[in-house]
Order: sequence, then C-alpha cells, then structure tokens
Amino acid sequence: MRHYSTAYPLSWRIFDAVEALAKRVWPARFAPWLPYLLLLPALLVTGLLVIGLIEIADSSLHVLDKATFRSSESYSLENFERALTASLFRNIGLRSFLGAILVTAVTLVLAFPYAYVLVRTESPILRKLLLIVLFLPFFIGQVVRAYGWLIILGNEGILNTSLSFLGIGPFRLLFNYWAVLFGLVQTMIPFAVLMLAPALTAIPKETERAAESLGANWIRTFQYVVIPLARPGMVGAAIVVFTLTLTDFAIPAVLGGGSNDFIANAIYDQFFRTSDAGLGSALTLLLIIAGSAAVGVALLLVGIGTLGLAGHDDD
Amino acid sequence: MGEAVTTSATRTDAVRNIAVSVRRVSMAYPAVLAVDDVSFELAKGSFLTILGPSGSGKTTLLQMIAGFQAPTSGEIVIAGQPVQSVPAYQRSIGMVFQRLALFPHLTVAENVAFPLRMRRFDARTIPGRVERYLDLVRLPGLGNRRIQQLSGGQQQRVAIARALVFEPDLLLLDEPLASLDRKLREEMQLEFRRIQRELSVTTINVTHDQREALIMSDEIIVMDRGRIQQMDRPQRTYRQPANRFVAGFIGLTAFLPVEVRSVREGVARLRIGGAELQGTVAGDDTLLPGGAAEAALRAEQVRVATTGAGLRNLDTVLEGRVEDVIFEGERIVYEVLVDGFNEHRVRAFDHDPALHAEYPIGAHVFVGWNVRDLLVFPA
Ligand SMILES: Nc1ncnc2c1ncn2[C@@H]1O[C@H](COP(=O)(O)OP(=O)(O)OP(=O)(O)O)[C@@H](O)[C@H]1O
Ligand SMILES: [Mg+2]
Repeated sequence: MRHYSTAYPLSWRIFDAVEALAKRVWPARFAPWLPYLLLLPALLVTGLLVIGLIEIADSSLHVLDKATFRSSESYSLENFERALTASLFRNIGLRSFLGAILVTAVTLVLAFPYAYVLVRTESPILRKLLLIVLFLPFFIGQVVRAYGWLIILGNEGILNTSLSFLGIGPFRLLFNYWAVLFGLVQTMIPFAVLMLAPALTAIPKETERAAESLGANWIRTFQYVVIPLARPGMVGAAIVVFTLTLTDFAIPAVLGGGSNDFIANAIYDQFFRTSDAGLGSALTLLLIIAGSAAVGVALLLVGIGTLGLAGHDDD
Repeated sequence: MGEAVTTSATRTDAVRNIAVSVRRVSMAYPAVLAVDDVSFELAKGSFLTILGPSGSGKTTLLQMIAGFQAPTSGEIVIAGQPVQSVPAYQRSIGMVFQRLALFPHLTVAENVAFPLRMRRFDARTIPGRVERYLDLVRLPGLGNRRIQQLSGGQQQRVAIARALVFEPDLLLLDEPLASLDRKLREEMQLEFRRIQRELSVTTINVTHDQREALIMSDEIIVMDRGRIQQMDRPQRTYRQPANRFVAGFIGLTAFLPVEVRSVREGVARLRIGGAELQGTVAGDDTLLPGGAAEAALRAEQVRVATTGAGLRNLDTVLEGRVEDVIFEGERIVYEVLVDGFNEHRVRAFDHDPALHAEYPIGAHVFVGWNVRDLLVFPA
C-alpha cells in the first residue's frame, strides 16, 4: 500500500495564490486578450532586434570617408554596390550559399537515421547513449569544438601522426573548404536530429507495420510512408540547418583559417578590422535578404503547411 | 529429419484445405510468457475469432502470424508454406489494425492502391481494381477524398478495402472495431461478415468482446494468459464451456462454491451452505466426493416467480430474496440471495419486463433452473 500525503504540495499552493492574484489584476472578461498579453515579452525582445536592424540599415547608406575614417553625412548606395560587385564578396557569398546547400543536404541524410533509431529503438540504454552523444557538443561550445578538430586534423595532428606510422601522408586536412564543410555538418547534425525526432515520433509504429503487411519492404516503407510523413520535420530541419550554416562564424574562422571565410567572417572583418561599419551593414542586410529569400522560396515550393505549425481541429 | 516432417505435414495441409496452421507456438518476453504453446488449424474460408481478456496474448499471436515478430518456438504454416523465413512484406496477409494505420498523406484511392503498387500489379488494372473494392466496402466515388475528410466508419471501410484489394490468403483483424461507438460497431460487425462471406477469405479476428465473437465467427478460440482455453463453434463455446474461465468469460455467470457429495453418470450431488443441489459435471472433468468444486449458473437459465407453482417444470426450485434489481431496457437482471446459500447470489434475467411486474428489492421470490444448466467445475 502506498502512502499518499493528504496535504496539497507547496507548489500547488503557490500557484493557487498566483491564480488568485491574477484574477484580481486581470478579471475574467479580459481573458480573450490574455494570449496577446503573454505574447508581449517575446515581442519586446524580438522588437529590440528590429531597432538594431534599423540602425544597421541607416549606417549601410553612409560610405566610410577614407580621409577622416568616419561615416560621411550623405546617403548613397555605394556600399551595396561594392558588396555586390567586388569579386572578394561575390566569392564569399557563393562559397557560403553553396556550402549551406551542401551542408544541409549531407546533414539531413546523416541525421535522419540517427533520429529514426533514437525514436524507434526498444533499448533504453541505446536511446540514452544516443541522446548524450547528441547533447554533448552543446555543452562543449562551438569554438572549443572547432579547436578540437585542429588537434585531430592538423599537420602534426593525431590523424596525420597515425597515418605516418603506415608510411603515408602527411595530408593537408585543414584550412580548406572541405574541412569547413565537415566541421559545419558535425555542428548541425544535433540541430537536425532535434527537429526530426518529434516528426518521426508522430508516425505510429503501426503505420509502418501496415506498409510492411501491404507488401512494402523497409526501403519502400521509408520511401513511400516514413519520409513523406516526416516532411514537416525535414523542411523545418533543412531551414534551421541552412540558415545556421549560412550565417556561421566560428567554424569557417577556425577550420578555414582565414582562407575560406563565410559571409559572417567578412562582416566581422568590416566591423572590427577595417572599421567600415557602412560596408559591414550593407553585407549584413544583403545576407538577411538573401537568406530570407532562399527560405521563402523553399517554403513556397513545399508549401508553408508542411511545417506543421498550424493547429489541427481533428484528433 | 525435421524438414521431412515439415514437408509431409505441409502436403497434408494442402490436401485437407487448411489455410493456416499454428503448431506449438510460444512467445516468451523477459517478464511474461505472452503466448504459451498454442496450436490450432483453420480451414480455408472460415472466420475465426480469438477472444480473451486484455493481456491474454491475442495481439502477440496475431503479430507472429503477420510476421512482425518471430515466435520463440513453434511453427506457423500459411497456405501450405512454413513462414519462419518469410518476411512480413512477402506474406500474403491483409491486416486491419486497431488504430487502422491509414496513410494520411495519401487519398482514399491511393491508400487502396498502395498494396497493389508495392506488389507491382499491372498498372493498367489498378484503377479498376481500386474502384471495385471501394464498391465492395460501399464507398463508391470517394476515391479522391483525403483520409481526414472521412468519418470513423468510412475510414474503417477504407482499411478493409486496403487489406483485401490484393486478394491475400489471410485477413487479420486486430480489434479494429474496439474504438467505435456501439451502434457503428454492430453495423461494422455485420459488414465484416458480409464482405468475408462474399470473398470467402480466411479471417482471424481478435477481440475481447464476447458478443462480437459470437455474432461473427465460425470458430472461437478463447485465450487466457497465453493459453488456448477452448476452440469451438460459437454455440458450443456458449453452451458447453470447457472450463471455469470460459464459463465466466462468456455470458453473465454466477459462481457458487460447493462441496461434492457424490457423482453418478455425470450428475453431481452438491452441498452449499445448508442447501442441497444437483448439477452436471462439465466436460470430462473428474470430481472427487468430499472435494470442493464450483458451480456455474448463467443468468438466462434461471427463472424468477412469486410462487413455486410458476416454476413447476424446472428441476431445482428454491426460495430467496431479491437483493438487487438492474434495469437494462430490454431485460431486467435480478440478483437473488437464495435461502441457505450464505452470501452467494444467483442472477436471473427477466426477458419480458413489459409482461411482468418488477419485483422490488427485498421481495420474497422463487428461483428455478434445470440440472443440466448448473455446470460443475473442479475448484
Ligand atoms: N513488446 C513487449 N515486451 C514485453 N512484453 C510484452 C510486449 N508486448 C506484449 N507484452 C506482454 O505480453 C502479454 C500479452 O500481450 P498482448 O498485447 O498480446 O495482449 P492482448 O491479448 O492483445 O491484450 P489487449 O486486449 O489489451 O490488446 C501482456 O502481458 C503484455 O504485457
Ligand atoms: Mg491487443
């Protein structure tokens, strides 16, 4: 026989008091507006960012006066012109976009089985292990992780040292595009898995078994049932990975070693190295516009409904 | 050697028109023996219901036949072929799941066409076939609907069409009707029966609803704790329960703990409290004089009357007091405490409440039944 305490726990009594207080300051007839009130803090925080954006938009319209090293008073589109025509920025932009697309594709392919096993495994030990491995990188932080790759992949690193025992190498594994993409994929997998797992959880095991009993082997079950049903999660994961990759700073900086900058690195240079805030702002705005446009086009192609954000009336 | 045995058994199956045989199949989970040494055979075209309480191993048994789980031991033979090494997607089995498991991203017609596409039927024949099966389940012209736009009963029909459209050797139903409201459930029970007869497809249905089992089946297997308690035609399962469990699981049965005085030619003289009774020994159980036993009495075999004269044609007539009255609409259930029975109550139906006055609680009544209806099981 279990013993149940008859007293209400402290947390219940605290919430009761809060409820009573709320009833006084916010009478029931205002209830329809309550959701909007609760929305306010998030709106304010996001709103502050908008103020920053307006500031950036303003500064992007002023060219740096090389003589005085201060922004000129007059408005012009010169910064945008430079950002769009200079071959340096064009290369960086192309590199970032191509990288984001490649990283998104590879990450989704790698994250999908991970998320699937995580959701479907019957072994609680395996599930715990997969979750720990998934969250570990978050505790380590991006810069330390990138530095870890230096230790492993460097010319004198663990990998090249091991290979030298076999009489091959050393290979130049770092400071090239592939190293950057590799590091980015590794960073993005946990995000993708976290976006995919709920979508896969929502597919009942019974649905997969139904496909199987109807004659689909596991490949066809994936192709015709699991993947189509997981689409909302895949679109969400793709958008998150794409935008995070496109705007990433640390991985290109450390693993690219300055030779494979992404847009964020170029922006950083303008703000903090050359002190050309105008040009930096223009690059920032272009990044935001291009990134949003890419996501917008992707959503138009697959349909916004796919994200599964709308409420469902039935079941 | 094992193989030679299998082959000869297989040949006999084909000759004897057996669609499925399950041979000494067990499924052991770490904590429970979910299915315990189950064997049965099912003739082609017949409708079998596996009936049992929650946790009795019905789903586990069905999953093994479907190929989603491998038995710990034993053998399953479908259409003459042992299926151990045949994966689920290659077995010719249609299955309707408890939660239907329709594909929400496909239309009704695409759902029904799914097994045909997966099994690479000739693409030109698919639309006609889908149409035919939608007609069969009485959903003509709804092919372009989305699954979410259908009612519960309509979704049920799509699931049936999808499971049958590829003409499987065997249809498995895992309590697909359990979630429906009573009226729709009864309608779908008759619908399943009609379709099953029309196609004469061998069917195994799983349920814990005794009424459903009695209505739909050619044969009933009653299961408890992983074991088959009885396999019989519905009438026999109902009238001649093989053991106490079956007697209690089907119908409204009162159990009376009795002491056996003597047994002669299948009739036992019994004692309960201060009263003497006679009952029929159930099946081929042996009862020892002086031993304890249990007597089972179905409510519909018991008559109630205000005078003993009204029950003159019954073997056993006793006096008692009405303890409880349960009004169920088409019938009334009386719980009667028989004088001398201690606290053990007998239940009786009055099937014609319109004709009779209702006896109030506390009323003095006579109850009567025949010796053949009081079944005695070893305790
Ligand atoms: N995957 C599993 N692992 C361990 N035990 C299981 C598993 N599946 C079922 N069992 C156990 O096996 C027994 C039989 O379960 P099963 O699902 O076959 O019962 P059932 O007759 O279908 O019951 P219900 O009517 O509730 O569906 C139960 O005791 C259950 O707890
Ligand atoms: Mg079950």
